[in-house]
Amino acid sequence: MITYPFQYKRAGSISEAVALLAEGGKALSGGHSLIPSMKLRLNAPDALVDVGRIAELKGIRLDGNELVIGAGSTHGDIASSGLVQQHVPMFAEGAGHIGDPAVRNRGTIGGSLAHADPSADWPAMVLAADATIVVEGPSGSRSIKATDFFTSMFETALAADELITEVRVPVENGARMTYQKFSQPASRYAIVGCAVVKSADGKVRVAFSGVSDTPFRDTAVEEQLNSGQSATSVASGVSVMSDHYASEEYRRHLANVFLKRALNAVA
Amino acid sequence: MHNQVIGKPISRVDGRAKVTGKAKYAAEFTAPDLLHGVVVSSTITKGRITHIDTGDALALDGVVKVFTHQNRPKLAWFDMSYKDLDAPPGSPFRPLHNDRIKYNGQPVALVVAETFEQARYAASLVKIEYAQEPHETDLQHHLDTARKPASGLASLLKPPPPKARGNFDKAFTEAPVQLSTGYVHGFEHHNPMELFSSTVVYGKDGKLTIYDKTQGAPNSQFYVSQVFNIPFRDVRVVSPYVGGGFGSGLRPQYQLFLAVMAARELKQSVRVSLTRQQMFTFGHRPATVQHIDLGAQPDGTLDALRHAATAETSRFEDYIEVVVNWSGALYKAPNAQFDYNVVPLDQYTPLDMRAPGGVTGMSAIECAMDELSYKLGMDPLELRLKNYTEEDPNEKRPFSSKQLRACYQQAAERFGWTKRSPEPRSMREGHTLIGWGMATGVWDANQLPARAEAVLTVNGKLRVSSATADIGTGTYTIMTQIAADTLGLPLEDVLFRLGDTDMPLAPFQGGSLTAGTVGSAVKIVCEDLGKELLKLARKMPNSPFAKAKFDDVFFVEKQMRLKADPSVRIDLQTLVDQNGGRAIRTTATSMTNSLKQGKYTRYAHSAVFVEVQVDEDLGTVKVTRAVTAVAAGRILNPKTARSQIIGGMVWGISKALEEETVMDHRYGRFMNHNLAEYHVPVCADIHELDVLFVEEHDDVVNPLGVKGVGEIGIVGMPAAIANAIFHATGKRVHELPITLDKLM
Ligand SMILES: Cc1cc2nc3c(=O)[nH]c(=O)nc-3n(C[C@H](O)[C@H](O)[C@H](O)COP(=O)(O)OP(=O)(O)OC[C@H]3O[C@@H](n4cnc5c(N)ncnc54)[C@H](O)[C@@H]3O)c2cc1C
Repeated sequence: MITYPFQYKRAGSISEAVALLAEGGKALSGGHSLIPSMKLRLNAPDALVDVGRIAELKGIRLDGNELVIGAGSTHGDIASSGLVQQHVPMFAEGAGHIGDPAVRNRGTIGGSLAHADPSADWPAMVLAADATIVVEGPSGSRSIKATDFFTSMFETALAADELITEVRVPVENGARMTYQKFSQPASRYAIVGCAVVKSADGKVRVAFSGVSDTPFRDTAVEEQLNSGQSATSVASGVSVMSDHYASEEYRRHLANVFLKRALNAVA
Repeated sequence: MHNQVIGKPISRVDGRAKVTGKAKYAAEFTAPDLLHGVVVSSTITKGRITHIDTGDALALDGVVKVFTHQNRPKLAWFDMSYKDLDAPPGSPFRPLHNDRIKYNGQPVALVVAETFEQARYAASLVKIEYAQEPHETDLQHHLDTARKPASGLASLLKPPPPKARGNFDKAFTEAPVQLSTGYVHGFEHHNPMELFSSTVVYGKDGKLTIYDKTQGAPNSQFYVSQVFNIPFRDVRVVSPYVGGGFGSGLRPQYQLFLAVMAARELKQSVRVSLTRQQMFTFGHRPATVQHIDLGAQPDGTLDALRHAATAETSRFEDYIEVVVNWSGALYKAPNAQFDYNVVPLDQYTPLDMRAPGGVTGMSAIECAMDELSYKLGMDPLELRLKNYTEEDPNEKRPFSSKQLRACYQQAAERFGWTKRSPEPRSMREGHTLIGWGMATGVWDANQLPARAEAVLTVNGKLRVSSATADIGTGTYTIMTQIAADTLGLPLEDVLFRLGDTDMPLAPFQGGSLTAGTVGSAVKIVCEDLGKELLKLARKMPNSPFAKAKFDDVFFVEKQMRLKADPSVRIDLQTLVDQNGGRAIRTTATSMTNSLKQGKYTRYAHSAVFVEVQVDEDLGTVKVTRAVTAVAAGRILNPKTARSQIIGGMVWGISKALEEETVMDHRYGRFMNHNLAEYHVPVCADIHELDVLFVEEHDDVVNPLGVKGVGEIGIVGMPAAIANAIFHATGKRVHELPITLDKLM
């Protein structure tokens, strides 16, 4: 429970953070995933670049047809934001069920996305919401579609010297959406989490956390549902995890149950 | 008696010390020359050690010595010397005795170093080679080797199964309604928060002061004295605070042996603490397989009852617990048969764990009664009342008191039992199935002899002591209350101390007997002190107490007063002042009234009603509501008593739904030997818990009329939950814990 030695640097702005990251080390946001993994010595960065006090990373605003959430917004900020509740209510609902109050007051959406824990809640939500993740690096800024962002377990399309700055979520009029999960009873991580967004035209987008080592849009199920069939092929194209929380069989069962519940919620 | 504080919800007198860190536990005591020992555990289950290489460990800075069976000192030869006061029949395990490995996790070496970190690292460098032999650890696969346990001293508090009555076979065959059922329970480990530790302080004269985690300091003293052949006066065991025991501290654990051995060999102070993983390498609640047959009339009258249990034990000792007797004492059934057997396996000897045997046997009979109630189409509570008995059918003698009927009534009413719809799966909200279940609890109300000392200081403060323990139950508090009331002093003027072998002898804390046992000694020793005070009062010139006998006076508001005329009074301080500047000191022994007590069966009772919610799709179970009514004689302190019952209820939830040590029988090793995977409820699992104490008067159990509440809270819970789950889902699960896979 003791970290390897590391240097601590605090960035005052996005550009300063990017410059510091170019020297090596890892960004530190809420610290609720990074610090525990360092204490367990699963992670040993030489330096931490604290981005937690960068004002530019905070704040939630509407920009035309998009809701823009600063990467430094905490789960608590998002759960209690009127803009989020009004335009992307699933985000408020999901954020409100992450961990406990201490976790929600410290942990951030940017940190969660960068960390890409297979059981984290945000990945399924940003995938179903068809969000875009905006990152800033030494050569400027670029936008990554959520569907291209998660590459493997704890792996993303983010480069080591890039910083997530914001998450842009399309605001769809008349859409209904929900995020439902089977929580680990102590941590509240999603043993299975299912996000469903149903557009005004009745088409659905379905995404899962917790089911496979990489969060994913379940396009096979979407096709079935969007062509009027019932969802028989949940998680068909992925390898389903099996661990001491849930066997592969039970996880598949959970995925079906939570998809059903989510679909009922948006019906 | 004018009760000031007995029966009042007094907060723990040691609460402040505990939350401020002033309360010191075994591993927190230290000495300037303290060395640290870390235990190396066997990685095989059965066989021999063929080679030990301690070279790398000894080469490290700070490492003082590595003890193994090859270099340990010569110690007591006979098994007898290793038998602590709670040892079951057999040959107790001797740490570092020889090259034999008897179970997985057995201590095979002790590394002693100047710092804990050095010792821990060095322990990882000790290389041990083994010759493995095939082992047997699976109870279910070895039921054919079941046999009667050997009998021994332990049978005193743990009677063998009751004698058969009537003709079971005939009655069962002829019964119009028959039920044959069985229940399987897995291993459980106590896992108190505080790890087992002993800090042995080596005195200049070679005398030992041992700070030990134990439920009975005298037991540790006895063991050390026997094994190491040291006179009692040279071994003092001190254990003022214990961070939970639940039975695990009833026997000295191997860290005590190792720490004492090292301290004596090195002539230096040594502390040995176990790791959480090593907390799974000694006693546990045994896995059991039970069978129950019930034969009944259509109106629910039980004609035939058979309860048989088989439990595992080690190869070296026959651990015994009382599993089947409760059924026979609870229900009339004129034709009954009981059986209890053990299967020796390659693992450590099981050990009493909160309501040992009681929660096991009662879970089975109370689930069986529930099964029978559905067969009969009868309300489960009504079935219990139909077979209610005012006399103990096992022993054909009355109960010293039994307010179980009132428990059933009051708990059922509080719970709203009459609103239950009897059909399984008939109560639901959306995908949530709701179930209501009930069960009965029974537990012993024993008393043992105990001693205590009372001192009234020259400042009029009362100090009372007894070598008992407070494993978190509230002993400090209730003893302070008893002493305060007996001599009419405010709580602040009373200091009760415990957990030190320099104090008068008391039994270990276990079996829910401390309140009645030590409480009686405290009451008597304070009364004796009162008698000394009366003597002083009588000697005073023109004393209005000159002719008073002890029965003529009472104590209140720091005064002694005449019952006949309470205006005749004298300050206790005035009386102490008459004692020539000396404190007044009395020592007393409370004996049990065996003649009278032997004529009665002495039990505490409870009735438990539970609501569960089961998610039909997921198999998850929530215990949303539980009501327990307890009849346990006089309640000395409703606050600490309620905490005990609630603790028991939470543990009952744990046993029913979560808790089990799972063994990988290929390796004979427990797989989930840590608190991450050994599941117990977290706060989020616990919902509404309601406790009622039913009024019960008992002048047989002990002079205080108390029955003890440490264990009764857990006894009825698992069956009530299992029964509620059946009511919710229509699924009868015969194996605890009821995890969600068993409901899918
Ligand atoms: C007890 C507990 C319970 C929890 N329960 C849940 C739960 O129920 N559901 C859930 O989803 N999560 C849960 N979490 C995780 C929590 O949400 C974390 O806060 C989150 O995963 C990481 O966010 P953070 O701000 O703390 O990131 P940090 O721990 O600071 O960083 C995590 C990773 O992201 C990187 N990083 C951080 N910010 C940026 C950025 N702006 N750009 C690029 N990289 C960045 C870091 O370098 C690091 O690699 C729980 C955590 C704890 C401790």
